[in-house]
Amino acid sequence: MSDTLALPRYNDAIIKKFVIATIFWGVVAFLVGVVIASQLAWPEMNLGLSFTNFGRLRPVHTSAAIFAFGGSALFGTSFYIVQRTCRVRLFGGEAIANFIFWGYQFFIVMAALSYVMGFSQGQEYAEPEWHLDLWLTVVWVTYAVVFIGTVLKREEPHIYVANWFFMAFILTIAVLHLGNNIAMPVSLFTAKSYNIASGVQNAMIQWWYGHNAVGFFLTAGFLGMMYYFIPKASGRPVYSYRISIVHFWSLVFMYIWAGPHHLHWTALPDWTQTLGMAFSIMLWMPSWGGMINGIMTLSGAWDKLRTDPGLRFSVTAVGFYGMATFEGPVMSIRDVNALSHYTDWGIGHVHSGALGWVAFITFGAMYYLVPVLWKREDLYSRKLASWHFWISTLGIVLYITSMWVAGIMQGLMWRAYDQFGFLQYSFAESVNAVHPYYVIRLLGGVLFLTGMLIMVYNLIMTVWSPSTDKRVTMPAGVALAGE
Amino acid sequence: MFIRHETIEKNAFLLLILTLLVISIGGIVEVIPLFTIETTVEHVTGVRPYTPLESGGRDIYVREGCYVCHSQMIRALRDEVERYGHYSIAAESMYDHPFQWGSKRIGPDLARVGGKYSNDWHYAHLINAQSMVPESLMPHYAFLAGTPLDTDDLLNRLTAQRRVGVPYTDDQIANAMADLRTQADPAADNAALLKRYPKAVQVGHGNTVTELDALVAYLQVLGTMVDFADPANENLHQ
Amino acid sequence: MQVEAGDLVAGAMMLVFGLIGLMLASGATDNEMYVFGLSLTGFAAVFVVGLIKRHYDKAEMHARGEDWHV
Repeated sequence: MSDTLALPRYNDAIIKKFVIATIFWGVVAFLVGVVIASQLAWPEMNLGLSFTNFGRLRPVHTSAAIFAFGGSALFGTSFYIVQRTCRVRLFGGEAIANFIFWGYQFFIVMAALSYVMGFSQGQEYAEPEWHLDLWLTVVWVTYAVVFIGTVLKREEPHIYVANWFFMAFILTIAVLHLGNNIAMPVSLFTAKSYNIASGVQNAMIQWWYGHNAVGFFLTAGFLGMMYYFIPKASGRPVYSYRISIVHFWSLVFMYIWAGPHHLHWTALPDWTQTLGMAFSIMLWMPSWGGMINGIMTLSGAWDKLRTDPGLRFSVTAVGFYGMATFEGPVMSIRDVNALSHYTDWGIGHVHSGALGWVAFITFGAMYYLVPVLWKREDLYSRKLASWHFWISTLGIVLYITSMWVAGIMQGLMWRAYDQFGFLQYSFAESVNAVHPYYVIRLLGGVLFLTGMLIMVYNLIMTVWSPSTDKRVTMPAGVALAGE
Repeated sequence: MFIRHETIEKNAFLLLILTLLVISIGGIVEVIPLFTIETTVEHVTGVRPYTPLESGGRDIYVREGCYVCHSQMIRALRDEVERYGHYSIAAESMYDHPFQWGSKRIGPDLARVGGKYSNDWHYAHLINAQSMVPESLMPHYAFLAGTPLDTDDLLNRLTAQRRVGVPYTDDQIANAMADLRTQADPAADNAALLKRYPKAVQVGHGNTVTELDALVAYLQVLGTMVDFADPANENLHQ
Repeated sequence: MQVEAGDLVAGAMMLVFGLIGLMLASGATDNEMYVFGLSLTGFAAVFVVGLIKRHYDKAEMHARGEDWHV
């Protein structure tokens, strides 16, 4: 007998952990979202306490949605996909993989705790203070080593397209995180720092980071998911290899330029704004190239949309992706932005991407992964998954339409003049006018959360249903004899 | 194609290096010139580092996440200039680490809120916003009035800002505590404070310096540093 | 039963993190740094306990001739 244990082909234990974390953080993110949406509808919901204020809870919501829910989904699916497409076990061993999991969860909990305690760098989506940034850097570098190490020891000659996207995501997020978070701590023992950049340069670096957190965390990584789970669930190859190549290189090249569209008409120099706008509009093409590649993969397997609820989520996600990536370039046009910026239109746009694309493609992956990882024949209930689909879709529709109306109304009220040439409305009147839409948005959020809870129930029942794993169901000895 | 894509797909290092190159270009072109082109930040008179009390107030502004609902960037659009005042220029936030331009107006822009309302209005509004503006969605910040401002690491905070480029003089650092007390006591003689920090507004009620005092001091200086009527500042080309 | 290289690397990292956590907590000038420092040390300690437990669990299963299911 050898001195080491025989290991299964792939490390799936770590993926199970990330799947559970994804679902847990999804519930948390949507719940906090519902709470802060209710605070905007009824300010009494702030409760007057320091740690329940909108200003402190909003980063908890965004971080829980993007980094905890989205991040756990990305870690889990990327580890699942890289092992299968490279046909090797995860590089680095169990302990290192476990460190990535627990280290990242520790980061999330500490970050959320620090926001409610009142520690923030004051830059959107980069709120964690310097000590947490350093901790995340350690976890992220370990992640990069394990992922790239696995790719390097692959037994397949080609690196599969999903892994290109995952590698671009890991690399770029590392660059962005380091670039945007260079800060001077007040002292080594104080969790307060001042960013090294100020004013206009700080603004440009922040939105170079912020927009590419969308571009690489919430897009490239999730495109990696699309390029694996849609072909896998539909049983069809990726529609076009050539589009994959063009899609990949044009997307990673152009996204980086798009940041300045968050700073139109501001004190940022015009040349930078124009560059940002031009590339944002061009970005429409690679985005739709990717969307077409994802949707057309279903050619010849469209009927599966009726029977496979997971696939239905994945494909609808790609549809929402196409919608959001059309809306984005439109909003990046300077004259449209003059109206849409600072309004709820932006919030609606973000959520059509976050709920429609990121969350839906994640749901698709979860419905696929849970039966596979826990070795169950099928989901506990496809019917419940369909309920989840329709309730969530209705939630998204309510959310984004109410925010469109609210946003355009705010934009128009702020610029309206009366017959004497004076501004027609006070700011407070615009706040009053959007109240009904804030209530509708809250309702949309409640529906989305309800759908999520249905999924949690369905997946728990799936795990509790009888296993189809031969090793477990067969009497001891039989399996060995048969091997 | 001069290089077969197959070559890249079979070599992880080549793929990584090419990706790194491709993602670097946009960032380099857009960010680096902002540090090197001299006209990016206008040359105007009046912009000064925040007083110790204003700086403390700014830290609270950042801590409470005020930037998630309030912008500090008046865009160069007719209605914004009429509603909020002269459009914001880059020089006005050149000592802001981090910048607080914001991205969403759940409440109004604050870039020029300084001097628009009295101190008393700000105190009442921060404690209970709905008492002053019934439509307001703003949370109540009464707890700030009950929290003394932590000044233990005041010097470290100013020094850290100096290290990242805020031009605090030795004189300003040495008198930081005295300036803070003076600004938080309307009865105190503020001649030395105004010499070091022109246009600093005295706040407070002469007793313990609270976080609310600091926040009001910060709000009262916002957008007031540059005098746009001054002919020296007329030529604001970028 | 050999100790895996990954376990050693992770264990060494935890040693460093545990010490850094203690240092940060002992010198902390604000609540956040104090909580973070203590939590970091706690994280490192719990992680090391996990490493040791898994090592002996594996050794026992190895002795019984079973597979390690991960």
